[in-house]
Amino acid sequence: MKKIILSGLFAVTIFVACKKSGVDETPMEDFNAKKDVGITDFVNKVAIAGYTELKIKADVLNNSIITLNATTTDANLTASKNAWRDMRSTWERCEGYLFGPVEDDNYDPETDTWPVDYVAMNALLADNTHALDVTDINSLQLSLKGYHPIEYMLWGQNGNKTAAQFTARQKLYMVSLSAHLQQKATALKNSWLPTGGNYSAAVLNAGKGSTLFVKKQDAYISIANGMSDICGEVGDGKMKEPFDAMDPNIVESPFSGNSIPDFQKNITGAYNVYLGKFNEDGAGLEDLVKMKNSALDAELQSKFNAAISSFNSITVPFEKAIFTQRVQCQNTMNAINALATVIDTKLKPFIIQNITD
Amino acid sequence: MSVKISKVYLVTAALLLPIILIMCRKPSDFAEENFDPRLSGGESTFFDETSKAFGHEIPGLNANDAYTHGLGDAAVEQSFVTAPAPVNSGLGPVFSNVSCISCHHNDGKGNPTAGFVNSSLLMRISIPGMDAYGAALPVPGYGTQLQDVATFGTQPEAKVNISYVENIFNYINGETATLRSPTYTLTHAYLPLPSNYLLSPRMAPPFFGLGLLQNIPQQTILSFADENDANNDGISGRPNYVWDPVENKMMLGRFGLKANTASILTQVASAYHQDMGITSSVFNSESAYGQTQYDGLNDDGELPDSILNAATFYIKTLGVPARRNVTDAVALQGENLFKAINCGSCHIPTIQTGVDITLKALSNQRIHPYTDLLLHDMGAGLADNRPDFLANGNEWKTPALWGIGLFEKTNGIPFYLHDGRARTIEEAILWHAGEAQNSKNKFVALSASDRKALIKFVKSL
Repeated sequence: MKKIILSGLFAVTIFVACKKSGVDETPMEDFNAKKDVGITDFVNKVAIAGYTELKIKADVLNNSIITLNATTTDANLTASKNAWRDMRSTWERCEGYLFGPVEDDNYDPETDTWPVDYVAMNALLADNTHALDVTDINSLQLSLKGYHPIEYMLWGQNGNKTAAQFTARQKLYMVSLSAHLQQKATALKNSWLPTGGNYSAAVLNAGKGSTLFVKKQDAYISIANGMSDICGEVGDGKMKEPFDAMDPNIVESPFSGNSIPDFQKNITGAYNVYLGKFNEDGAGLEDLVKMKNSALDAELQSKFNAAISSFNSITVPFEKAIFTQRVQCQNTMNAINALATVIDTKLKPFIIQNITD
Repeated sequence: MSVKISKVYLVTAALLLPIILIMCRKPSDFAEENFDPRLSGGESTFFDETSKAFGHEIPGLNANDAYTHGLGDAAVEQSFVTAPAPVNSGLGPVFSNVSCISCHHNDGKGNPTAGFVNSSLLMRISIPGMDAYGAALPVPGYGTQLQDVATFGTQPEAKVNISYVENIFNYINGETATLRSPTYTLTHAYLPLPSNYLLSPRMAPPFFGLGLLQNIPQQTILSFADENDANNDGISGRPNYVWDPVENKMMLGRFGLKANTASILTQVASAYHQDMGITSSVFNSESAYGQTQYDGLNDDGELPDSILNAATFYIKTLGVPARRNVTDAVALQGENLFKAINCGSCHIPTIQTGVDITLKALSNQRIHPYTDLLLHDMGAGLADNRPDFLANGNEWKTPALWGIGLFEKTNGIPFYLHDGRARTIEEAILWHAGEAQNSKNKFVALSASDRKALIKFVKSL
């Protein structure tokens, strides 16, 4: 049985190898057409699709927090926690393409700053002169707004908060934080839409008069940079820093214990960008690479899958895993770094070589 | 025996000669056409035209150096919080922003506003006079930098209000440009301000290429100086000498908008200290020490040396983006015009760096920074009227122009000059006066298409 599988694998290998030798057979017009569709699909099926989903999740979170505020029960607290995790899952996938308004207009620091400022938060909650309305939230420092202060409100410092423990000021703060996050998610989505900031136009006109993306190559390099940057941020930063320092205080999302899903969704986000999809599959770099260099596509697919699935072997929250599952953590970081290396040393040169206009 | 020795000397001399020749070589010794004009940073050039163009490490770092670079990269992104905190503790109590990248967007510049989360403008403040080293005198209760943001429950030192008056600039052919002139006023001061305070707005400059600039031999920079304008071209150019608290001596200033800092380490430590309120071994007491809002906590230096050094190393080892459009006829025409109207007297195109035995990509590199790192009188319109060591109130350091054409990509909306008043490169050129008056006049006198060509060249950098 093993032999059969092996020869089957061999056949696939040979098939792939043969296919690779025929790389030049892809007609240029097919490649060029796909190149254009790849940009359109990145805009519509990845970027806007992702931010649209994010906005919907923000609405759900906000509604659930309004309900929790009105009826503060453990069941409603659980519902809000689930809504937070759900929105977080979308946001982490949106981090697969951190360029455009999200970086130019500071949406990332406005909503996802870590660490939270405990001293300031406690002072703020104790200071009744602060109305804690959304205007108030807008004027606060970055470390007092966004996902993580909401997470802190929902889970508490040790992750075991109950509905009975909410103070009136905490509820006020939580409701405004969630409304602020919803506003930011809405504005981020609109910044890409033709009816709003229309950043889409800059990408869609890549190589056709866009000043931000003079060539289509620039747009694709930006896309690849986004993929490699998030791998670096997870593999070399968010995981590596607490791992090296053996310091759970540095771990992001510690209240909810959500770090591992966060990291995994980041890499899934990068993979989605490669595939040209957020939910609905479109044309992406995958399709272009397949046409010219199927071996590179196979390598990327396998590296993505290895990196994403490696998280499954970490079975406790990350702040514990840095002590008890160090081998598994190291394996995951290695897998992510190997993926980033292929993106940097093979995918980017592929783009520069094959997408010259 | 003596014969043998002289042979040894001869061989040694013969071996050393080429090395000496290499060490002594000047950019002008080689024909321009033998070099690739895209390599703005020599070996430290990186080919990336996207928003991440300023964030690439120089090539050839060993594993340990690459690790340190990575640590520094993470460090400049860290946002600080109020002390005491388990991580990133010690923000403020008064500060300008919460992290390095809050001001240095994408390792570059930012926005010319003050007091907001994305603001990149800070205010130096002082009273007339100077201390024993020639440094500006602190305003009692304020120091030499105004911190316009504060931790919860602390009052910002003051609020900075910025207003602009727009004036139309008329070219001879009827074309116009709009120049906006800023006015800065302080309100909500936490203590009464003396009436004679001096204010200097400073936009956060980009991070990259600083390792190369630090490695330019001092005598090369001094060779550009012409303090008494001996060649009578209207351009003097003089070095700033500043007190360096790490080396404990007066040194040539290279960094800061008035060449008011001598080394990257001091620049970084000073930014942590003055911009974020984070103490380190270099500046070990709070910026608010001795002021009424001093936190009194026994937690200094808040930043470990390892992080300070990693952040310094990160900035030292960021490469330079490659020049674009090097074969474009219009841009090349613009390059000739740039030379012809003497822009290159201060924005020096080509410089050779010195030897660095540890970092090959910074060592002996032919670079195109378009700066002389010297001070120049830029006229009353741009003057801050606040001396900073030897720099008088009219003088600014020539900023490097490499990467300037990418600000639009790294920053969303680009801003130019020391306070971000210019919204286009054309506006920035039109603000030039003082020693640059002649060149500006020649720029204004160019045909519209020649002006566009010159700007296209600058944008290719």
